[in-house]
Amino acid sequence: MHIPDAFLPLWQSAIYWIVALVFIALALKWAKHELSEDKIPLVAVLAAGIFAIQAFNLPVAMGTSGHLVGGALAAIVLGSPYAAVFILTLVLIIQGIIFGDGGITTMGVNILNMGVIGGFVGFYGFQTLKRVGLNRYASAGVAAWLACFIAALAAAVEMAIAGTFPLVPGLIAMGTYHAAIGIIEGIITAAAIYFISTARPDMMAENATVEATT
Amino acid sequence: MNISNTQFLIGGLVIAIIIGGIAVFFASGDPDGLESTALYVQGDKTLTGDSPEDGDPEAVGVSDAVEYEAPLPDYSMGEEGGKAGELFAIFAGIVIIFGLAFGATRIIAAKKN
Repeated sequence: MHIPDAFLPLWQSAIYWIVALVFIALALKWAKHELSEDKIPLVAVLAAGIFAIQAFNLPVAMGTSGHLVGGALAAIVLGSPYAAVFILTLVLIIQGIIFGDGGITTMGVNILNMGVIGGFVGFYGFQTLKRVGLNRYASAGVAAWLACFIAALAAAVEMAIAGTFPLVPGLIAMGTYHAAIGIIEGIITAAAIYFISTARPDMMAENATVEATT
Repeated sequence: MNISNTQFLIGGLVIAIIIGGIAVFFASGDPDGLESTALYVQGDKTLTGDSPEDGDPEAVGVSDAVEYEAPLPDYSMGEEGGKAGELFAIFAGIVIIFGLAFGATRIIAAKKN
């Protein structure tokens, strides 16, 4: 879902950058409040893991491949959508500058789609699904699927505004491919949460709040 | 099974490196969802059909876009770098992002105290 430089006119890239910077500032504020020494391993491992797995494109049929985005995972594990903005921003900076994966001018829109939209949909989707009674792994999986799917639709709308893709075919194709890619997102997110919960249950944000309130 | 912070840190880094290493050999060469959509709206691909080998997803883009040459383009050291170059690129990337996230979090956490 990494948008290259050629897909957006400069002035539109600038607008998305400004919006992204607002969320980056909020994410830094969150980080100053919430990140303590004991969170260092979790943030570093999540960033490295998300980076590695984003390089692993899996086939999803229809002549298409896809990989985990990781916004939902970061947000659920660290207990805030801003965690996704924080970690995905770091990942996208390295990907764009060193590997040419996603543009430089379009880094703002990519942070917006994968970090902000992915993080917020993933986090609040997870909370809502858990509240209606789904178990935590199913909630995480479905929320991650939704995060991938909705971020893709947002990208289709951005591409339509830019005149790069026509609106309806863009929505249909982005929606179809990312409905399939989202299954990867859902399974890996649920599995990663299972592993972290098993290895270090105390690192999961939701367990921390449970302990604090009981 | 509770493991220490150091074990979690090293274990996580090792898992990331293993995933990156496997990706170099087994990642799909098919275009991703955005590129597939670009090929589809250009008429180079049907919605559910195969992607063309030599399709150019960026043909649909604007022509005066910023041209940025990344040092390790597409997680490789160029054509001549081969698989070894790709392994180097992905391992370098994992170490850099790990160090960046570790360092950034540490600086932020230290300021708090």
